[in-house]
Amino acid sequence: MVTTLSWAEPYKIKMVELIKMTSREDRLRAIREAGYNTFLLRSEDVYIDLLTDSGVGAMSDRQWAGIMMGDEAYAGSRNFYHLRDTVEEYYSYKYTVPCHQGRGAENILSQLLISPGDYVPGNMYFTTTRLHQELAGATFVDVIIDEAHDAESEHPFKGNVDFDKLDALLDEVGAEKIPYICIATCVNMAGGQPISLENLKRLRRWCDEHGIMFVHDMTRVAENAYFIQRRENGYQNKTIREIVYEICALSDAATMSSKKDAMVNIGGFLAMNDARFYERACALVVVYEGLHTYGGMAGRDMEALAIGITESVQDDHIHARVGQVLYLGRKIRAADIPIVNPIGGHAVFLNATKMLPHIPQEHFPAQALSAALYVESGVRSMERGIVSAGRDKATGKNHRPKLELVRLTIPRRVYTQAHMDVTANAVEEVVKRRDEIKGLRFTYEPEMLRFFQARFEQID
Amino acid sequence: MKTIIEPFKIKMVEPIKLTSREEREQLIETAKYNPFLLRAEDVIIDLLTDSGTSAMSSEAWAAMMRGDESYAGARSWYRFRDTVRDIFGFEQIIPTHQGRAAEHILFGVMVQPGSIVPNNTHFDTTRANVEFNGGEALDLPCREADDLDSDYPFKGNMDIAALEKVVAKNGPEKIPLIMVTVTNNSSGGQPVSMANIREISRVARSAGIPFYIDACRFAENAHFIKRREPGFETTATIDIAREIFAYADGCTMSAKKDAFANIGGFLCTNDAELAHRERNILILTEGFPTYGGLAGRDLDAIAVGLCEILDEHYLDYRLQSTRYVVQHLIDAGIPVLAPAGGHAVYLDARRFLPHIESLQYPGQSLAVELYIEGGIRSVEIGSVMFGLDPHTGNEHPARLELLRLAIPRRVYTQSHMDYVLEAIGLVWERRNAIRGMRIVTAPKFLRHFTAEFERI
Repeated sequence: MVTTLSWAEPYKIKMVELIKMTSREDRLRAIREAGYNTFLLRSEDVYIDLLTDSGVGAMSDRQWAGIMMGDEAYAGSRNFYHLRDTVEEYYSYKYTVPCHQGRGAENILSQLLISPGDYVPGNMYFTTTRLHQELAGATFVDVIIDEAHDAESEHPFKGNVDFDKLDALLDEVGAEKIPYICIATCVNMAGGQPISLENLKRLRRWCDEHGIMFVHDMTRVAENAYFIQRRENGYQNKTIREIVYEICALSDAATMSSKKDAMVNIGGFLAMNDARFYERACALVVVYEGLHTYGGMAGRDMEALAIGITESVQDDHIHARVGQVLYLGRKIRAADIPIVNPIGGHAVFLNATKMLPHIPQEHFPAQALSAALYVESGVRSMERGIVSAGRDKATGKNHRPKLELVRLTIPRRVYTQAHMDVTANAVEEVVKRRDEIKGLRFTYEPEMLRFFQARFEQID
Repeated sequence: MKTIIEPFKIKMVEPIKLTSREEREQLIETAKYNPFLLRAEDVIIDLLTDSGTSAMSSEAWAAMMRGDESYAGARSWYRFRDTVRDIFGFEQIIPTHQGRAAEHILFGVMVQPGSIVPNNTHFDTTRANVEFNGGEALDLPCREADDLDSDYPFKGNMDIAALEKVVAKNGPEKIPLIMVTVTNNSSGGQPVSMANIREISRVARSAGIPFYIDACRFAENAHFIKRREPGFETTATIDIAREIFAYADGCTMSAKKDAFANIGGFLCTNDAELAHRERNILILTEGFPTYGGLAGRDLDAIAVGLCEILDEHYLDYRLQSTRYVVQHLIDAGIPVLAPAGGHAVYLDARRFLPHIESLQYPGQSLAVELYIEGGIRSVEIGSVMFGLDPHTGNEHPARLELLRLAIPRRVYTQSHMDYVLEAIGLVWERRNAIRGMRIVTAPKFLRHFTAEFERI
């Protein structure tokens, strides 16, 4: 375990990408053209891009060397075998089906395991995950602890499952209607909050008892392991690598978007221990993704992923990674700006409800804050509130999440401490002008995953 | 000068591991006699496919380094979009992680159970995607396509009379789109003429049916038109390509073929409303509309590749080097599909192994023997690939029993091809001793990828 207080990066910079500077007038024009949706901005108009940590990490020189070692054979590429062996060595899963990214794996998982009328419990929804479950005919049921929905609670493991909720669901619908439980490590929508190993172990017992499969949404498992090492009794002297393995070994299968923890620009996989499940996944992956030894990934990207996995579980790396997020979070918190506590592993979440009390939730305060932050500073963030939550599939009414947040997501190994300082200052500046920020209304609302492409106008 | 010279030199190499015949006999048995299940490192010359296996140029690698990996609105996306628009001419461009995803989205939006999709010949994933959505994939190749010796210059053409009949009978209610594959892969990489494309477009437009092009090998097809079709001798190949797409309402593209890319594809249309519905599916299964499941660097590599592929010196070299192999096989009396197509050499397994009946998969047997003989990996295009009707579960012999040796772009040299010719010649000499195969296990869709075989 790393004992130093410093989070100095265990790497130096080997290649840079130039950033274009813009004026406030440029940014006002750009955000209007983008319909006040930061997803619709051009990247070249962005100064510091904190939209997502997905696919935007900086690869290491070793990963780039792996890119040059790509074996692009259509079938049986050696990079596939390297990836498969690495997944088993670090994550415990025996079988790996590569997919072009995480949602490809979710699509295959949902289609293979769900029958119409099923229920899939999970520790808070995630946008694409829930939609795949719903399209396969299932209803998502949130079984996360109540503290997760409270931005101010200091609970150390807000990603934990509430077993009363889980048992209540079981009593109501029966085990045969629950094909699997989907558990995310470092729950994104809760603010990058971890689940404890104690909770995971109990979940394993629960699944065994009721014959229900345990699927692990593992995109940020290493960051979760870091919080376990810091906060959970008995894990202080275990390495991140050991904790990651222990977490994975408790589950039966996993979906992975390797664009996060594993620091690649593209790629993901579905992994499992059951041979029959693997066979069925191979038959389906070829329809959507590609032959089961590449699954829509270039050989070079499988190689970069295999190397990225080994780098992602190094104690030094995770210490610096989360250290940078904590640095930004503490700096913003020190300015008395309300954020989600405790600070998560991949992002700082601004509490828009508290920051913009004059804007009611149906006027999208987080969306408005995200747009205002861009205009102020060129920092691109993402709304994680009522717009992202979408509408109830049965009633058509807006889901009204308790958390109305703006996510400042930190790409891995990309930005420096000075970039974080600029970001914190930008948030402070926007808070000073908060009374000028206006609510928004839709001018275009897509039916599914509306946050990606929606357009808005200001309410005067 | 008769010598074919490559309009490039080698900048980076990938070593090949050599294996012995005894090792290969063991390896193919372990792979259940399915070349798809071999490890790539156990293959000497990999002619399984030309898809995603090309050598990129130093320019494309340089573009890869410029890749903008921003999740939304990346510079790479705008460079990609502008290049695709310039060549293909369509307004709406939707990137996908590869061609089958573009097909999946297109057919998911357009095909209903009971729909009929006519094509000159559907390729494997295209057929599977039509059938997966409950439609019928109807092949309407021209008559000449079945005559493997005919020298007809455009054996990839669609049978226009047959198309008119199908359209008259079913109309736009049952036919959501008409497709043509350029070049026609399942019929031997044979080109489609501009005259034929104009005719298909005329039939489609007069019936109010959208006309789509499966554009994987559009540059090779355009160059065949330049070299073979009267009236195009002096037209630039890029302008021929533009004219092809001007007759269509949209296209699907696997950038792993005629864009030299290792991954990627796209879907195009001029219909904004349709594109809107397609993007909704895209976000769910592929990615955000400005990256569609591709890394930014791959969008950049495709943009460069699309420009390079239309270099006429390259295309002359490409078509001539394929013809080189075919001509040597013809000279040796070995049954091969003629004239030479663009991207592959097709051995006629039915005549190569006349003693093996179709449902004992002569093409599969030939693939296995060629691997054992020379470590050469090829693919059956016959009753294994197309023999099973996934709806009825019935098996019937395919129209043709072919063995495809696909030539990756800019990867192998003339001496590699001479080695391949030598290996084919050795298998030809011992052809009478070769036995058929039977399937042990296979999935319902796209069974050729993962089916397991044994020798009879």
